[in-house]
Amino acid sequence: MEKMKLKILYSDLKSDIDIIEKELEKALNSSSHLINDASLHLLQSGGKRIRPVFVLVSAKFGHYNIDKVKNIAVPLELIHMASLVHDDVIDNSDLRRGTHTVKAQWNNRVAMYTGDFIFARALEYVTSIENKRVHQILAKTMVEICNGEVIQIEDKFRKDQNLKDYFRRIKRKTALLIESSCELGAVVGGLDDKSVGHLRRFGYFVGMSYQIVDDILDFTATDKELGKPAGSDLLQGNITLPILLLKGNPTIDQFIDQASVGEVTESGRLEMLKVVRNSDSIKQSITISNQYLRKALKEVEALPNHPMKKKLRDIALFIGKRKF
Amino acid sequence: MDATYIQQSIEQLKTNIFMHVRHRTLLQYTGTPVVNENQLFYLLLPFLNGEKWNKQIDESAITVGIVHASLYEHEKINEKNALNKEQQLTVLSGDFYSGRYYEILARSGNISLIRQLSEGIVSRCEHQMKVYESKQYTIDQWYETISVIQTELIKRFYQVYEFEQYSAFMHTGLLLLQLLEEYRHLQQGKPSILFKKMIESAEDEKLFESMIENQISSLKNLLNEYLQSSNVLKDDLKLYIKQQIALN
Repeated sequence: MEKMKLKILYSDLKSDIDIIEKELEKALNSSSHLINDASLHLLQSGGKRIRPVFVLVSAKFGHYNIDKVKNIAVPLELIHMASLVHDDVIDNSDLRRGTHTVKAQWNNRVAMYTGDFIFARALEYVTSIENKRVHQILAKTMVEICNGEVIQIEDKFRKDQNLKDYFRRIKRKTALLIESSCELGAVVGGLDDKSVGHLRRFGYFVGMSYQIVDDILDFTATDKELGKPAGSDLLQGNITLPILLLKGNPTIDQFIDQASVGEVTESGRLEMLKVVRNSDSIKQSITISNQYLRKALKEVEALPNHPMKKKLRDIALFIGKRKF
Repeated sequence: MDATYIQQSIEQLKTNIFMHVRHRTLLQYTGTPVVNENQLFYLLLPFLNGEKWNKQIDESAITVGIVHASLYEHEKINEKNALNKEQQLTVLSGDFYSGRYYEILARSGNISLIRQLSEGIVSRCEHQMKVYESKQYTIDQWYETISVIQTELIKRFYQVYEFEQYSAFMHTGLLLLQLLEEYRHLQQGKPSILFKKMIESAEDEKLFESMIENQISSLKNLLNEYLQSSNVLKDDLKLYIKQQIALN
């Protein structure tokens, strides 16, 4: 159902998304059979391709040329894919979207080389753009994403963290790449600085909402919908918004303590999920996500009149209401 | 110029690499980046030999060193178990260094080097992956793999700045130094995964050892020939290269 909604949402961009898909396949082509297998595995495991879509839609506000725009849309998706491959090593995840991760299918080292290969392909691809500003934005984003991940590891199982820590972390972890997707699409489309700013901020607010929804879904969706056990974030020590809003809850505190020493039982996980699902923290998290969405929509309003404004609004609203 | 000056130049490059990737948390858990001094020497070879060397080239040499350090971090990841904090942060230190090299080159607008280094990394990863493939490779193909892993990025750096007259020294020297190191590990009973695969290709460990000894010997001869016949390289550098081999 959700995938159908997304398909409808992207329908008028379909021909360009198809170009992006083909380019992704081309970019991942390698003389190494193993890299080809691992990359194909990644491509087939799907993904919402929201970063390329944000690039395309943002660029449509300016002088749109898919042959130019793809040069930033493709690398952004590649960077996202590469970081997922490395994240699965960090999180020791065997499943992503219901399929085996590269590290589970082969091993950690294969995942490292595959990720490095994809990162390099992304940069190779983006060098067809000679604009220094584009590279500066992208490079800064890559470094900041890394910094966010370092902070995430430092914050694991840390019960004394606050909302500011969480927002700072998800900004770097997720919002930045979506922010950059919108900004870079706008820059490549040749938009004026004011519009670039609106689209950049739109991307940031939508990115924050996207991650909050992701963190909510980790507790509210089923194992099947998630393609991994619900509550995996907390099992790995990632203390997200719904948990921060439950600060001091004895069941949750006990669960974090047990998870930190790898002593969580299945009944303990189900009990934790019950506590989170029956609490107010999910509702409060949705409210905070919606606040970010409202801010994103305000940025859309400030953009010059253009048919793509409706598309931006629709995508933002889909992200806020999505169920997977 | 003497060996002390060469060593000081390598140390300076190392310090510059460390400065550009300094990160409090990563430093605490993963330590300083690992750099290979032999590679740094060949990166600096054109400079030491008196080639025109400006700020941009110097910065480029630093970024090549950073890329080497980045890829080396990921070689430290355990194949099966990367659960502890050090291993997790080692994954990120490699990614962080990779981002930093791109950031430095993006700031100076050096797009051509970004392209060359990315292509070089692609090629290196493809070769590194060979040890995990089921396909059988010949011993010569494995030599090629070792060579690409050791030299590809420096080769790209030489291409961008037209230092290709140093390629033969660099290529032969780094392959030889790496084989000497791998051979030493083999003799200590701790062969690398790559050498294990090479033994499989040779089908006999004793035969493989003699093959490696022959390869080392012919590479030494080849390097000596290059050094003797070269009008390009200063005598001090020729001597340094000979000592570098003798010490290994």
